[in-house]
Amino acid sequence: MNHQISKSNRRNWIILNLLSMTFIVIFFYTGKYFEQPYLFFAGGAISLVLLIISFKMGFVKTKLWRLVHTKKEDLDERQILVVLNALRYSYVVFVMFCLVIIYGFALVNKGPINVLVAACLLYSAHVLPAVIIGWTEKRSVTVKTVNNIILIAYFNLP
Amino acid sequence: MKSRKLYNRISVLRKEKNVSRQELADVIGVNFQTIGYLEREEYNPSLDLAFKISEFFGLPIEIIFSPQPLKPLFEEIIELKKKIGGN
Repeated sequence: MNHQISKSNRRNWIILNLLSMTFIVIFFYTGKYFEQPYLFFAGGAISLVLLIISFKMGFVKTKLWRLVHTKKEDLDERQILVVLNALRYSYVVFVMFCLVIIYGFALVNKGPINVLVAACLLYSAHVLPAVIIGWTEKRSVTVKTVNNIILIAYFNLP
Repeated sequence: MKSRKLYNRISVLRKEKNVSRQELADVIGVNFQTIGYLEREEYNPSLDLAFKISEFFGLPIEIIFSPQPLKPLFEEIIELKKKIGGN
């Protein structure tokens, strides 16, 4: 089943997802320096919930996640091109982002990055290709998997 | 190397043959959205894909695809008729 979602809605969910991830880090770091950090931790928890919801709405329901993680054999030539371009750009963006974070931490003498920042970097690395496709693709995404082909053939579905 | 835009008659030929995008996509082995991208001329097919489309419609590639804007089919038919009639 393909969830038809407009390009603007898709972009909004992507923005919300990236902002949620950013706010988790902000809330965590600012909460450490206050006497009553509970509000900040609550903010972090809300951001985490928003992250999960926006991930499902922006990447799972729109089939972007599946497109990026589908085997090359199950994609057609245009989809392969779209995914390869997204991987290329996301590699560049991720490398720059990592370098900025690492040098930033080194400059302010904060030492090595902590687990939360590392987790966010890991998450970014995984979603960036889907972010790029979701931002640039003009129309909704469909991916025909092997299971769908079997269903379509067996039930003669359109 | 920037590729130039290719024009095509896939939409017209598909409607003449009364074939849906999904049916055409299943025969030539692509996602039906790719057929849409091809028809809107937002994507240039590979040589292999162009040949598959040509084989499906039973027409030469140059009738289906062109680097110049294509005339409507009826105009081409009228021109052909004139040429044949003239010979």
